[in-house]
Amino acid sequence: MTDRPADLGFEYEIEGWADTRRRIRQSKMVIAGVGLLGLFAVLTFIHPVLQATIWSDQPAVYRPETGHDPAISHPSGPSLDHFLGTDPLGRDVLSLMTYGLRPTFLVAIATALSAGVVGLIAGTSSAFFKGKYDRVMTHVADAFVLLPPPLIFLIASKRGLMGPFELGLLYGLFFGLGPAAIVVRSRALSVMEKPFIDAARSVGGRPRWIITHHVVPHVIPHVAVVVLAGVVGALVTQGFVEFLGIAEYRYGLGNLVYNALTYQAVFGSGVAWSALMAGALGISLLAASFYMISSGLRDVTDPRRSSRRI
Amino acid sequence: MARFVLRRVLWALVTLALLVTIAFFAVNLLLPYDFAVGVGQRPRAIERIREALGLDRPLVIQWLDYMWHFVRGDLGESYDGDRVSRLVLNVLPVTVAIFAIGGIVAYLLGEWIGRLVAWSRRRVLSATTSVASVLLFAAFPPFLVFLLTHFGTEWLFEVRSWFGLGIVPYAPIQEGPLLNVIAVGLVAAFIGGIVLRSWARRHDRRALAFAAVPVGLMAFVASLLALGVWAEAINRLLWPSAVMATVAIILIAFGESMLVMRAGVASEMTEDYVFTGRAKALPEREVRDKHVAPNAVLPAISRLITSVPYLLTGLIIIERELNLNGVASLFFNAIESGNVPIIIGILVVVGLIGLVLRIVLDVVQAIIDPRIRIEGEAA
Repeated sequence: MTDRPADLGFEYEIEGWADTRRRIRQSKMVIAGVGLLGLFAVLTFIHPVLQATIWSDQPAVYRPETGHDPAISHPSGPSLDHFLGTDPLGRDVLSLMTYGLRPTFLVAIATALSAGVVGLIAGTSSAFFKGKYDRVMTHVADAFVLLPPPLIFLIASKRGLMGPFELGLLYGLFFGLGPAAIVVRSRALSVMEKPFIDAARSVGGRPRWIITHHVVPHVIPHVAVVVLAGVVGALVTQGFVEFLGIAEYRYGLGNLVYNALTYQAVFGSGVAWSALMAGALGISLLAASFYMISSGLRDVTDPRRSSRRI
Repeated sequence: MARFVLRRVLWALVTLALLVTIAFFAVNLLLPYDFAVGVGQRPRAIERIREALGLDRPLVIQWLDYMWHFVRGDLGESYDGDRVSRLVLNVLPVTVAIFAIGGIVAYLLGEWIGRLVAWSRRRVLSATTSVASVLLFAAFPPFLVFLLTHFGTEWLFEVRSWFGLGIVPYAPIQEGPLLNVIAVGLVAAFIGGIVLRSWARRHDRRALAFAAVPVGLMAFVASLLALGVWAEAINRLLWPSAVMATVAIILIAFGESMLVMRAGVASEMTEDYVFTGRAKALPEREVRDKHVAPNAVLPAISRLITSVPYLLTGLIIIERELNLNGVASLFFNAIESGNVPIIIGILVVVGLIGLVLRIVLDVVQAIIDPRIRIEGEAA
């Protein structure tokens, strides 16, 4: 932060993040995205609570995979007993949906973790060491960009040995070495041009110290942007893997969509809209929430884009 | 200039070699099970199959072998004994045709709407389009396809009946040389239209600029009529699964191109030349279309081209949903049977399409923008 007059109409701290925090709070995209994500997080954790309280008198009916309500015909729309209705097999959609969010969140977390770590290491190191190492890393990243991680995810999930967390790690690895590394490298290169890097070098800073204390803090926001954008792809792909039924479990949101579509054709019972919507909108909205946070953060981290609007 | 192109192509070959290597090892290490186990039952038979296919050698040797074939333009043989390149080329036209048409339409729509939205100060317009494009961007493809087929089929059959065509089942579109002719013709018509449009804009012929793309399409229809394949072509073009796949890829790619174009225009709007344009009292429209848009288009196109492999993946997923016999049919069958060479071949071909498009983009950019050319030659 350069020196600024104190009477800007808002308080600011000397240490850099106040301005960023203020802009994050003003960004509608970020707020909406975080709100949506929070809603899904609550839904994920609500399943055992519901099972213990509201559904406790008839636990067998509301059990996610094997439940069945013999009292009504299926599929049914929303009712007092079943807030989101039942799917063609007679299972409670709310129960299935909240339960099915678990692997989805696992994939999101794993993808973000591995893509972030791998992208950060690959990008900053190649910007810092430059030269031949940088050339090699750039070509590797170029090659990884051309290999879409969704296809790799599809291939790997066929094995049936990898759970959602491992698949997320794999997706993140491919995403981190490709798009994330390229974005991080270009940002880190522009940081490397700054005088404070030379200053840190001239007082004898070791490469590791300079990277962790001077380069990484400036690059982190950009890592967040690109990694969250990667999570979107991972979630949609995972939904598709569940939809195809090649995931090792059978209770994901994609399975919900599959059941809604398939048994409609088998039973001739009409479209199970409630089950279909819960599954499909669940995947789409959750992915959209990550995308919204990502694109909102992009505007925040790049003030040029939003500053002078005339 | 020639040196720049040569350098670019040489480096692309390095990237390509890396791409093939990564694809080879990734697929070989990740694949579900040994192909031989699925074919032969007894241990002896399995061993013999493995030997015959060369699977008993160390992976590195297999890789060297694969690379040796690849250098000579050969994607190897599938485990069933077919040439992978032929298998892929058989299914590629359907996918590429749908992708090219869908991608171009989505780009045109996205560029137009993104420009309008970024320029307009109406909050409601901006909010609705961003919500819509974010939702489309994150849409779950099977759901999108379901909605399209559920609500679009009857309407599509109605359209077919206008041309005197009957209802057809959701069968895969038939292949044949005609399909390739149609695809190439349509893409050529679109690209011709776009080139004509940019020429007309530069020479200030607004009416021609507006009519350019329709004119290109009419030229395409006229050539079909002249060739006398009109009825058959319309039948192919209005094939339900093909139409639905095109609409779905348009919707998905539209979200991205609209968001990118809007961001591009928004960031260019703060440049000084915009003030200059306004200060000399140019009409708003002229500042937007003649000064800002050309600067915003290049980054938008390059972002789109970078995401071509991802969009292609989206299309493969959609194809699987619609039972189209494009790349998806080959890909998912190969995964099912553990036919490694086919999967590697498809990954390489998808990457190759992206790579070629990027080289073309780089060269075009270097022609337009001398700064890139000089930097590229100096490096």
